[in-house]
Amino acid sequence: METMKAAVFHGQGDLRVEERPVPEPGPGEALLRIKYCGICGSDLEAYRYGLYEPGIVIGHEIAAEVAAVGPGVAGLAPGDRVTSNDIVPCGECRYCRTGRVSICDAVTMPGVTCDGGFAEYMTVAARALYRLPDGVSDLQAALTDPSSNALHAVNRSGLRLGDRVLVIGAGPIGLLIVQAALLAGARRVFVAEMNETRRCLAREMGASEVINPEVDNLDLAVADLTEDQGADVVFCASGSPGAMASTFTLVRKGGVVVPVGICEQPVAADFLSLVMNELDYRGTYASYDEYGLALDLMAQGRWRTEPLVSAVIPLEQIVAEGFEVLLQPGAAAAKILVRP
Amino acid sequence: MRFASMEYVKKMQEVLNSDEQHRRAAKGETDSYLLVLDPEPDKGVAERHIVGYSMVDGEVTEAWTGQRKTTFVLSAPYGVWVSILEGRLGPIAAMTTRRLKIRGNLLKLLSGSDSTLRMVELLRTIPTEFEGEYASVKLGQEAG
Repeated sequence: METMKAAVFHGQGDLRVEERPVPEPGPGEALLRIKYCGICGSDLEAYRYGLYEPGIVIGHEIAAEVAAVGPGVAGLAPGDRVTSNDIVPCGECRYCRTGRVSICDAVTMPGVTCDGGFAEYMTVAARALYRLPDGVSDLQAALTDPSSNALHAVNRSGLRLGDRVLVIGAGPIGLLIVQAALLAGARRVFVAEMNETRRCLAREMGASEVINPEVDNLDLAVADLTEDQGADVVFCASGSPGAMASTFTLVRKGGVVVPVGICEQPVAADFLSLVMNELDYRGTYASYDEYGLALDLMAQGRWRTEPLVSAVIPLEQIVAEGFEVLLQPGAAAAKILVRP
Repeated sequence: MRFASMEYVKKMQEVLNSDEQHRRAAKGETDSYLLVLDPEPDKGVAERHIVGYSMVDGEVTEAWTGQRKTTFVLSAPYGVWVSILEGRLGPIAAMTTRRLKIRGNLLKLLSGSDSTLRMVELLRTIPTEFEGEYASVKLGQEAG
């Protein structure tokens, strides 16, 4: 039996690189040879809190090459360069039928609910794959998933041409939201971030103002930047309860808040401001249709991902040079890619 | 003393901490506040003034001028603050009618309304000089 190296999740804080059999593609599936797999914030949370089933190979931000296809797969051949949607929807529930695929009732998620991409090979439903356009490198393609999620967050916000946007937290998703908001027609995008390296990245991604909320009073800074109105749209890409709580008064009356980061702790919600100011809070989870959009934007040269890549590490170092680095308080790294 | 000057905020700290009624009303309050007095050039107030203070269990532990990170930011044109100190506009009404802009948890701030009302009474006792068209307003009588 042919074997491969894979990072297997064994519970809270326990991820091990082990030998596993190379999986066989079943009907409708493709076997992928992984080129890169990015470490996602959700992988970090799973590692820290033990959120996944023990025994699975995690990782879902992949760039790969088709190694083989199973029975019944048409339109894909070995050697094709691809990326995979991290959502494989049931296609039948009320949410799938109404286009809300990211909240499918019976979703399968490679690297979350079944084996994923921190491995030399993985199998995935062929219908979840996107062939990479010419001009999109494997390294770029490994950021299709977070790019798609950022585009989905902006789509969920209903951002309008000329809006002034605040992004709290300049991790990979926050940085990509800066770019997505500008593409969607934001007049100005302000970023609040404590880490200096990430503040520099935010400027590079097009933020017009970058605020360090540890030094400057964020409420006052945003008031000054918006003629005392508040931001039209606030994206909170931070898991800090304090940051999430602050959104209630950083947004203008009648504005929209999109919580993107996941707070593990309860948030002191200011329902009085929510009611009095008729605020809209809109959750955003993963993405689906925006995968194709992200790849198309990359192919056109209108979507940058390279500045976000802080390091490319071998699979064997996934814990020491990947998870542990990103979990350090105040980590400056944005995206770390694993190359099996 | 000049409204919102360093001398004024130090006096404010002294007055609040020495008042038993305020200490009782503010007990349990541990937060920081920034008060922003926005300019009104047409009324002779050319510059923005910012003062702040932090409170630990009802005691003002620090008071300052200038901006810094705080739990609450309360901002309004200079004249709104003068109206509040004069008693022409109630501080709670100023918050709920949004003449005083609040950034921070409004419900939490309103739950401390007893201490806010007492604070305003105490600030009225400080002999205060205002700017521009507000120079004729006189404060400095005893709090009840």
